[in-house]
Amino acid sequence: MTATATHNYDDTRLVGIGVRLLLPDATTIFEGTFSLLHVAVKGDTLYRGVFAVTMFPIRHPDRFVSLRYTDDRDREQEIGIIEDLGVFPTEAQRLVRNALVKHYYEQTVSRIYKVDNRFGLLFFEVETQLGRREFVMPWRGDRAEDYGATGKVLLDAFDNRYIIPDLTRLPASDRNALTAYIYW
Amino acid sequence: MGRSAKAATPLVSFWPMNPSSDLILHAIPDAVRERAAALGFHDADVLFAVRSDLDADGSSVDVWTIVERAQLASIVATGARAGTVVGPFKVAEITKARAFQKVGSGFLQVQVDGVYVDLARYANSRRELFGRVAQHIQRMKDGHPPPEEVLARPSEMQCQECGLPLPGLRAQCPRCVGGRGIFARTLGLMRPYLSSILLLLFVMVVGVCLDLLPPLLQRMMVDRVLNPIKGAPVLSHAESIRLLLMILLGLVGASGSRCLLNVFIGRSTSTIGTRITKELRERLQTKLVSMAVEYYNRHSVGSLMSRVLYDVDYFQGFVTQVAQGFLLNLMLVLGIGGMLFYMNWKLALLVLLPIPFVVVGTTFFWRHIYPRYYKVWDSQSKTAQLLSGLLSGIRLVKAFGQEQREQQRFSGSAAYLQESRRSLEASVATFNPLMGFVFGLGGLIIWYAGGRQVLESHISLGTLMAFFGYMGMFYGPISALSMFTNWVTGFLSAGQRVFEVLDATAVVTEVAKPVAMPTMKGRIEFKNVTFGYDPYTPVLKDVSFTIEPGQFVGVVGKSGSGKTTLVNLLCRFYDPQEGQILVDGVDVREMRQDDLHRHVALVLQEPFLFRASIAENIAYGRPDASPQAVMNAARAANAHDFIARRPSAYDTKLGEHGAGLSGGERQRISIARALLCDPGVLILDEATSSVDTESEQEIQKALVALCKGRTTIAIAHRLSTLKNSDHIHVMEDGRIIESGTHEQLLAQQGVYYKLVKIQTELTRLET
Repeated sequence: MTATATHNYDDTRLVGIGVRLLLPDATTIFEGTFSLLHVAVKGDTLYRGVFAVTMFPIRHPDRFVSLRYTDDRDREQEIGIIEDLGVFPTEAQRLVRNALVKHYYEQTVSRIYKVDNRFGLLFFEVETQLGRREFVMPWRGDRAEDYGATGKVLLDAFDNRYIIPDLTRLPASDRNALTAYIYW
Repeated sequence: MGRSAKAATPLVSFWPMNPSSDLILHAIPDAVRERAAALGFHDADVLFAVRSDLDADGSSVDVWTIVERAQLASIVATGARAGTVVGPFKVAEITKARAFQKVGSGFLQVQVDGVYVDLARYANSRRELFGRVAQHIQRMKDGHPPPEEVLARPSEMQCQECGLPLPGLRAQCPRCVGGRGIFARTLGLMRPYLSSILLLLFVMVVGVCLDLLPPLLQRMMVDRVLNPIKGAPVLSHAESIRLLLMILLGLVGASGSRCLLNVFIGRSTSTIGTRITKELRERLQTKLVSMAVEYYNRHSVGSLMSRVLYDVDYFQGFVTQVAQGFLLNLMLVLGIGGMLFYMNWKLALLVLLPIPFVVVGTTFFWRHIYPRYYKVWDSQSKTAQLLSGLLSGIRLVKAFGQEQREQQRFSGSAAYLQESRRSLEASVATFNPLMGFVFGLGGLIIWYAGGRQVLESHISLGTLMAFFGYMGMFYGPISALSMFTNWVTGFLSAGQRVFEVLDATAVVTEVAKPVAMPTMKGRIEFKNVTFGYDPYTPVLKDVSFTIEPGQFVGVVGKSGSGKTTLVNLLCRFYDPQEGQILVDGVDVREMRQDDLHRHVALVLQEPFLFRASIAENIAYGRPDASPQAVMNAARAANAHDFIARRPSAYDTKLGEHGAGLSGGERQRISIARALLCDPGVLILDEATSSVDTESEQEIQKALVALCKGRTTIAIAHRLSTLKNSDHIHVMEDGRIIESGTHEQLLAQQGVYYKLVKIQTELTRLET
């Protein structure tokens, strides 16, 4: 048995020195000048040009949203973390979700029609939520990463992201076409 | 969605045209002409217009950003929001411009009224273009716009000839280079051995002729001696015995000659094969050593080792296969096939019946079993990496009590290895017996058809026996040829991995006529240097400073501020995207790399020692150094005494990474190594940060000797070690934000002052 399994950890000791949680009664989220996301935190200040990032985009895509901004020295700073967006007013939820849409641009692959290996490059023909697409990725280990337990992210030659959320849910022929090359 | 949808849905290529049609100089694009004119844009004033492919919400639309000297704006050209405008913004109102990278896309942003506004969104395919656009706007804003050619130059990520995305930045286009097949390239490796190979081929032809002889002799034995056919000359008993002995002598002669030829062929192929693999390993090693550091960020050491150590062995197999496998079998098939048709073409046609099954089987093998070889290789490589990491970090594993988890991880990897091997071997184990069965059926057909012809006196018994003799020899090579795919698949995957390394482009290359630097005074100048490991995310931003010869300069800053990147650029592990680094007035890109590396010495936080003697480690940069010079360097580095106390002193063999020495001892050996090279420029990258205070004092003493009279750049967290520097640069977020002597910086009461205060406070608390 490992120490991890037997030890009782006191996580409360990290409260205060860890991340700041943003709660609805102390946080106002609204659209301000230039249609930018603005966040006001009670006892703190008003942040303009705020953007949102999920901290666990695979395991908890709807929770633990980090609200961030660029400071006057061009450094990215965190305002705080929204643990559960659902407890915020509807309009604030909409604005944060829009901010998340702006932060992530990924195509979700539902079918793989063809994979060809030529010149050390893989030529893909796939179906995504945007329709039928073809892309080229270098055939290298660093271009296909794990995505959760059973998924993969394929990075094409330009770093465009193609997500296969669950390989086991692809038709067998598609899966075979993929795993013939992306076997790792 | 079914496959029938294939024709109905339009196919969209997700890479831009090259040269780019997304950039228009000095004109408003027709798609937004009317809207732009209404906003006050005129063709005559437009510097450029650039097209992006995404709306703010991520939908696919065309958005044109139009830039004039006085104003800029973005206009959506297509989709539901066509005509929507962001801006226009007066250039005078803009303080900054940037390409802000998100996940999978980016935004062209301008800072207005202290806040960044999204001007246009683009998919990563256009990242390179928009990176240039942002820089162009920023430079324009700063009053020194770069030439338009910089903006309009073709992408470095795509082939300028065919538009194909390149395997790496500025890599050669694999399509246009016209890469020859792996087989052709392997044959090319054999060119120096052409005469030996031709001799081999001749010997093989002789060997095949010898192989064809025994069945003919056996037919003569049956039809003339054992069971004479009608019309054959009648022989007396003594004549029959004499002929029998002569035939047997012929068989012995053919068999003995074949044996000798086999010995010759085996020895020759082994000589050629081992030479080729030796040369290939040397080429791979030379290539790997010449590769830029960036290459090693993308490839694991385990997988590269596997290529040099194991994949190369397939090339020896290639020679063996060509000489003793494929080519020999092919000749046998042709020779025996010819004999079969010569003896009886009808029976020979029946012999060919199983051939289509062989073709089908081979095709199946290629399609379904070929990829499994990659999987086996991958699983072996991953298991090796996991084990190597586990054993190297065994102290950490034990300290955190993670033995069980590591065991589970290894178990998973071992299971992957087992499954991939099982899957491959199960397929092969099924394929082989099935093919054997098919050949067996062919033999039975000949028994029937040939037997009937003998019974009906169409052919003699001797002819049938000879036919069977040849058929036995015929199916053997056919079977071997079909199995040849088994080997070919393994060879191709290994060959691909080997040639992938040989074809890789070193990002940092030497110019055609590099400047020789036999000596180096040590004047260093960084001029407007901008660099990012990811070219679109600068780690150093417009950094400029000068270090005079012999100066000791400290560089401080938080982790990630860009300190080590300065060193990486000075050593030319990478080249800057913008700006210049000059040493003694010569751009390091123009300098002979050997000279640069000989005159610039590095002492790192984690010194790397090789598995060799202490003396060899100290003399690593100067293998010809005399024993006295080695001892002098060690003495100056405060290493001599602890070395002398070892039973084998300087001849003490060190374990991996200097095992057997303390951290401080390892560091002092690395300082001695640097000292022995007498560098003009010395870089100390956290040289004392991972050792205890006592060791640090010893190392500091050593460093005093090392730095004397040399240009020294010292990166340190412990600011006390930099107090006596001639100059200190404080870095933050890729920029130098403060510069001066220790006293000047304290007087400024800025970032350096705060850092010193924090460290003084920490030291007080520790004591």
